[in-house]
Amino acid sequence: MIREQANAAGQSFALAGGAPGPRAGHKSLWTRFAASTLLVKIAGGVFLLVVSEIAVRLLAPAYVSRPSGVFRVLPQTLTNPAVLSGAAITLGAVLQGSVVALVSGMVVGLLMGRIRLVDRLLRIYVDGLSAMPMVAIVPLLTIWFGFTSWARLATVIFAAFFPIAINMNSGARAVPQGYLEVARSCGASAWHTLFGVTLPASMPYLLSGIRLALGRALVGAVVAEFYVSVDGLGYFILFQTRTFHHNEAFVAVLLLALVAVGVDALINGIIRRYMPWYRAGERKR
Amino acid sequence: MLSSDSAWVRWTTVLVSALLGAAVWEFGTRGLNPAVMSPFSDTVLRLAEMLRSGELGAGAAQSLGLFFTGLSAAVVTALPLGLLLARVRLLRVAFDDYIALVYAMPMVALIPFILSIFGLDFSAKALVVFLFCFFPILYNTVEGARSIDPELIEVARSFRSTEWDVWRDVMIPGAFPYAMTGVRQAIGRGLVGMVAAELFLSASGLGQLLMISARNFDTAGLFGVVLIITLLGAWLMAVGQALENRFTAWRGVKR
Repeated sequence: MIREQANAAGQSFALAGGAPGPRAGHKSLWTRFAASTLLVKIAGGVFLLVVSEIAVRLLAPAYVSRPSGVFRVLPQTLTNPAVLSGAAITLGAVLQGSVVALVSGMVVGLLMGRIRLVDRLLRIYVDGLSAMPMVAIVPLLTIWFGFTSWARLATVIFAAFFPIAINMNSGARAVPQGYLEVARSCGASAWHTLFGVTLPASMPYLLSGIRLALGRALVGAVVAEFYVSVDGLGYFILFQTRTFHHNEAFVAVLLLALVAVGVDALINGIIRRYMPWYRAGERKR
Repeated sequence: MLSSDSAWVRWTTVLVSALLGAAVWEFGTRGLNPAVMSPFSDTVLRLAEMLRSGELGAGAAQSLGLFFTGLSAAVVTALPLGLLLARVRLLRVAFDDYIALVYAMPMVALIPFILSIFGLDFSAKALVVFLFCFFPILYNTVEGARSIDPELIEVARSFRSTEWDVWRDVMIPGAFPYAMTGVRQAIGRGLVGMVAAELFLSASGLGQLLMISARNFDTAGLFGVVLIITLLGAWLMAVGQALENRFTAWRGVKR
């Protein structure tokens, strides 16, 4: 989203004003640099790295991670079995939990969207619990599930359920009335209307819900690992920072960021590829 | 949202579903081990007790103090920075992908770093809330300011607006609705940051109450605190939503 618009902006930046525009006929080195989106981005990245390197060197204790330190430990950390297995465990839990949340959230959201009574009964609970910061539930889940990986799975499910249910609900409401009327006049069963018409028609909403849910599931998994101390990427970060290996820990943070960005890009790609007409609501939530 | 309902129908619905929920909670959990699941009535009694003793009030006040410190620091810094990035194209192109990266990143992962660098005091916890709140506001402000029609700035320019005028009449009104979307997101994330900071850094406020009651297997107390946190969260999210709705009208007809 950002990139495509940045490219467009790159072509029309003379209009945007402010930045030095290529008004004169001949192009100076500066204007050519400023017109190249990629070069500017790289320069921005280098600037951020240099600034953080200098700031950490000047202000922070020696053990604090800094770009040069992270680069130095990057190869050995990425091949470290603890990181690899931790990443596999955490992502596995995120995936498992998200699938459970997806199925249950879809059913609840669809029913809420199409049956008024269900919506009335459940709305305050879904809205209220989705507004609750999910970290607050972790201590309770440790009472129910003990300090085990089950508590993490439960946290992930809890975190991922509400965005899916809520988006599915608004998607089911947004299905054009005409679709439902056609289904009805062709004598479609209630089951078929729900899963054969409403569900596909609200796919874009569901996908945005899944994107939100995966992001929250990742946060939930990390939070649960901090609190419960079960193996995983979050626990790796906790352990390494406690033993003052901040650089190694930061590599794990970068991995998490990559996963988060990858999920976003994947879902946005799916929406753009298969539902190109769909734009509204992308910004919502 | 079904908006055809009258206020009367809406409130009755809320009341009935709340009563049904309470009934299920009460009668579905009778006879279970009270350390695992406490019935609704016990939870309410424990909640009243905690309210009377003042620990709940003090905890909530402490947590909200932390929350608003972090949130207001984020608003005060992220809004001007976002507008600046929006106005100066070169800066925006240079940094927007990195902002999006950090925006998508799970911020909780940074909590152990903050713990070991900044220790356990209030400012470290406020920093956690700040970090949770900062990037949604920055990201949305930049995104929003980008949606400002460049022609508006051009027109302002050709009518000899000064730089200050462009900011006052075009940039700030244009970006504000999106910034409010950012503030709403920041409220949601800031609440997570608040509880996480209170659980994982030095225990205080509602986070501490959660931890103490979990340790003592005081499930009624734990449910009570979770209930209070949920109510606070719902209230703050509603405030954020109202803020956003108040200003979305400015976005005009295009969206």
